[in-house]
Amino acid sequence: MIGLQHYLVVAAALFALGVLGLLTRRNAVHVLMSIELILNSANVNLVAFSRYAAGNLGGQVFAVFVIVVAASEVAVALAIVLTLYRLRRTPNLDDADILKG
Amino acid sequence: MDELTRSLAWFRPELALVVGLVLVVVADSFGGASRNFVMRLLTTGALAAALGFALQLQAEGAKAALFSGMLVIDPLSAAFKLVLIAAGLLTVLAFSFRNSRELHGLGQGELFALVLALVLSCLLLAASNDIVMLYLALEMVSITSYVMVAYLKGDRMSNEASLKYVLFGAASTGTMLYGLSLLYGLAGTTSMPGIQEYLAGGIPDQNRFAVYAVTLLVLAGFGFKIAAVPFHFWCPDVYQGAATPVTALLSVLPKAAGLAITLRFFYGTLSVPESGAWDLAGSIHWTALLMLISVLTMTLGNVAALTQTNMKRLLAYSSIAHAGFLLMGIVALSENGARGLLVYLAAYLVMNLGAFLVVTLVHLHDGSFDLRDYPGLYRRAPLLTLAMAFFLLSLVGIPPFVGFLAKLYVFAAVIEKGMGLYATIAALNVAIAAYYSFKVLKVMTIDPGNEDKPALKLALADQVWLAAFALANLVPLLFWDRIEGWARGALVLYAGG
Repeated sequence: MIGLQHYLVVAAALFALGVLGLLTRRNAVHVLMSIELILNSANVNLVAFSRYAAGNLGGQVFAVFVIVVAASEVAVALAIVLTLYRLRRTPNLDDADILKG
Repeated sequence: MDELTRSLAWFRPELALVVGLVLVVVADSFGGASRNFVMRLLTTGALAAALGFALQLQAEGAKAALFSGMLVIDPLSAAFKLVLIAAGLLTVLAFSFRNSRELHGLGQGELFALVLALVLSCLLLAASNDIVMLYLALEMVSITSYVMVAYLKGDRMSNEASLKYVLFGAASTGTMLYGLSLLYGLAGTTSMPGIQEYLAGGIPDQNRFAVYAVTLLVLAGFGFKIAAVPFHFWCPDVYQGAATPVTALLSVLPKAAGLAITLRFFYGTLSVPESGAWDLAGSIHWTALLMLISVLTMTLGNVAALTQTNMKRLLAYSSIAHAGFLLMGIVALSENGARGLLVYLAAYLVMNLGAFLVVTLVHLHDGSFDLRDYPGLYRRAPLLTLAMAFFLLSLVGIPPFVGFLAKLYVFAAVIEKGMGLYATIAALNVAIAAYYSFKVLKVMTIDPGNEDKPALKLALADQVWLAAFALANLVPLLFWDRIEGWARGALVLYAGG
């Protein structure tokens, strides 16, 4: 029988994978994908809590909002990554290094 | 339906901004020579109307939950709204496409629309009463600021700054979201008063660790917005890469809104008002954690500012340090602390915007943000140098400027709670801030160089605004009792459903 705990473990694993990807990936698109993992780990949490613990639909509504916000955030982020590629012919984050100090 | 119309009546400042936003977008789609003038007029008009409505709301002293408990109106949020709208209005008035070399010649409509959207989202964030609203407003602030930073499209620095901003921002708000999802699971509700009720009822021991984890995760989002250590890495790069008027706006608005929601979350959700004072809800000792962050923030900000030669980076590190001082008001966990935070924010607004105006004007005439190009400004632009002296002394907290009084409030609030060591560290930080601020002044007045360059010909409007900001750092002392009364009257936090 699958219960709340199973979902929470999956969500925690997704979150950990997302953070790991953030820290290790150098390609901007991979980093954005890792961020999506983090956001979706929260979504899994929200929907599972809504179904098993809270007994209201608040979590599911929250998850729908998160999906919408994540889409608009990625739209802006991809536009910026595209500009990076146009200016420097690379999606590699390590090459964006003129601002430091 | 009745609740909706009642809520809309309390929603006037935001409605004014929405109307202004739509009109700016429409005006931008018409061609015509007077288009830019009309859009500027619409933006200032919308902000002025919003300011008027916010003043009205504060005078009414209303306390209510709006839109089924999504937002809240209380004197505290009205006071924060005043500060936020004033910051937007002052930036739009004092900075323009004319006096910024970076923005000169770019399309104006988008930026005006973004400014209105940023102010609107900051108002929503400052008044959030539900974690769904909190997340939405925080993301709206973030996404508008990403676009604003990326505004100089072909510019490598602007692009790199926005890239770092969006990646740091998405990561920290994602982390916060994970914390919020756990909080929903624990409390079974997304409403912040509901969560407070759950925490106040006593947390079962097996959930205690989870609540601490939630506090840490949520702090990632708030810390990112106010640029507190260790979520500050984006700040110097973004401040340097963005156009200076955008930097000026970003140094005040998201920080103020972030502090407003931090105050609301930590006082209104993680604490319970008990007979005039505050009690930690469920004995979650967040004050120690926030104190640690505050100490690290002010120390790292000030120490890193010591070696900066780019004025925008220097002011960025100084603004990180100020976030640390501002957090003192929250750590105090008292009405005096909250009052100190409000007064400090109002003072920070005039001193920081003024300093950025000086940097913009020097860049307009000399094309440089480098401190090594600043010698001789005393001779070339006496008014500008005098104004900069006012701003820097105010930023350090030297009497008789407003910055001193602001620091006095937060220091008093902390000492009153017996946190003497904390106040001592903060005082040492003031000394570090004094060192690099005086260094800038020394370069501008005493250091030799630039003897052959002509005097700066400041436009009349720029001179007026420099003088206005400089006076705003001094004149409020004459009617300080009224400002104190304003801040005192604002200390009502409504946390109803």
